[in-house]
Amino acid sequence: MSGVSPRLVAYAQVVLFFGAFLLFWEYGVRYFEVKKYILPPISAILVAIWESRGQIFEHSMYTLAEVLIGFIAAVVVGIIIGMIVYVSPFAQRTIYPLVTALQTTPKSALAPLMIVWFGYGFVSKVAMAFLFAFFPIVVATLGGFAGTAKNLEEHFRALNAGPWTTFTTLRLPSALPAFIDGCRVAMPLAMIGAIIGELVGSDRGLGNLIMLGTASSRTDLVFGCIIVITLISLVLYALIEFAAKSVWWRGIQV
Amino acid sequence: MSATATIEAHKDSVTPAAQPQAYHIEAKGLNKAFGKVKALEDINFGIRNQEFVSVLGPSGCGKSTLLRIIAGLIPYESGAATVKGEAIHSPRPDIGVVFQTNNMLPWFTVRKNVELGARIRKMPAQARDQAVDKVLEVLSLSKFADAYPHQLSGGMRQRASIGQALVLDPPILLMDEPFGALDALTRDKLNVELLRIWQEHRKTVMLITHSIAEAVFLSDRVLVMADRPGKIIEEVVIDLPRPRDAAATRALPQFGEYVAYLGKIMGVTS
Repeated sequence: MSGVSPRLVAYAQVVLFFGAFLLFWEYGVRYFEVKKYILPPISAILVAIWESRGQIFEHSMYTLAEVLIGFIAAVVVGIIIGMIVYVSPFAQRTIYPLVTALQTTPKSALAPLMIVWFGYGFVSKVAMAFLFAFFPIVVATLGGFAGTAKNLEEHFRALNAGPWTTFTTLRLPSALPAFIDGCRVAMPLAMIGAIIGELVGSDRGLGNLIMLGTASSRTDLVFGCIIVITLISLVLYALIEFAAKSVWWRGIQV
Repeated sequence: MSATATIEAHKDSVTPAAQPQAYHIEAKGLNKAFGKVKALEDINFGIRNQEFVSVLGPSGCGKSTLLRIIAGLIPYESGAATVKGEAIHSPRPDIGVVFQTNNMLPWFTVRKNVELGARIRKMPAQARDQAVDKVLEVLSLSKFADAYPHQLSGGMRQRASIGQALVLDPPILLMDEPFGALDALTRDKLNVELLRIWQEHRKTVMLITHSIAEAVFLSDRVLVMADRPGKIIEEVVIDLPRPRDAAATRALPQFGEYVAYLGKIMGVTS
């Protein structure tokens, strides 16, 4: 049909797919008589979110604060470590292998330790968000610096450019696309870190609410929390995507 | 043939040792190795003030290495390399270098790219803007000042690269196959432009190339290099009248003779 634009068809496909999925969920659990504490129908989950909206909002803000502070700390420390390793051969021999080794450690295994070190409250969750977000950012920053085109470095040398000029005019803009890619990976990981921290031990936050919901067989509330966590992650990811637009020279070779 | 004899006669009349103090760029017994591989062996040559000299040779003969040594970008093992009588050990402000790759920063406009050298060398803003305007005009890039490099053709990017070197108005210009990555047509056009710029601004030029016709068309003198190890095997004075012209110069019988002569040398050594 020539009258329907391909874009409209593409949108229709998406809407139909998810619509069918939700309908299957809603009526599937009723038809197969799945117990409510195993899998509640989607309508019950939405009702639970609405009824507990005040509580969910409060816990969401708490978790969001943990994620953002952990993420920003990871960005700052990640850039600093990335720069130190890039400029110092000593750090390249010592800190870099250490970072690589620590990267392979399962970060979730560190959650109990973070609680022992930083207590039951806010700080241990920030530490978890930081730990999850930090490594992708360091690795991406390093890759970005190392990927500076050799011909451009030589060009700057031929122009007698000082180290500071070379850094701000050449290395930093060169590294930005890779750094943004690191942030793309790190942002959802920061959320995962904070939630794991809350699941292991906390008195507030969405992870805490999930634990409470599970303990009282409120599976609808648990699902509600999971949906809210996913939505927050999506919004944060969209923010990174928005910031990435300012680094428009990604992949442009001249 | 008599033409060959004429060339030989000229070659004898200009020996590098004739006026050593007049050389802007000079190399004496220069050697360079990368590990065990000898890149350059016993290089001797001189380039006078405002002279246009091409270094012609097959790929891998070390001609780019030679340019990088003169540019102060890489060290050499033994012998001497001087610019205006001073030993070279780092890049100098009176030398502009144009590389084979057009070194445009993709996140800068053409204008910002061209003024990069002037910014780095801290030229006052007003003088810088004037110099950039002039260079953009000379290279017919004024209309594209606010375009980004990826929006330009390869030839225009390479012109802008030359602008990056010209904006500082350095008395010495080193060019490493600046048009090597371009198609033959664009290359010919840019050679004509380069010739015009040189005829107007009279700089000391060392041009690295593997195109015989390009070398003959542009140069006062051509140094021919052979590879493994890289050394200069011939020096040919190109005694074609100046100012040269794209059509008329290439139509001269001597032009063809020089091209044939250089081809013979390069053919023998390759």
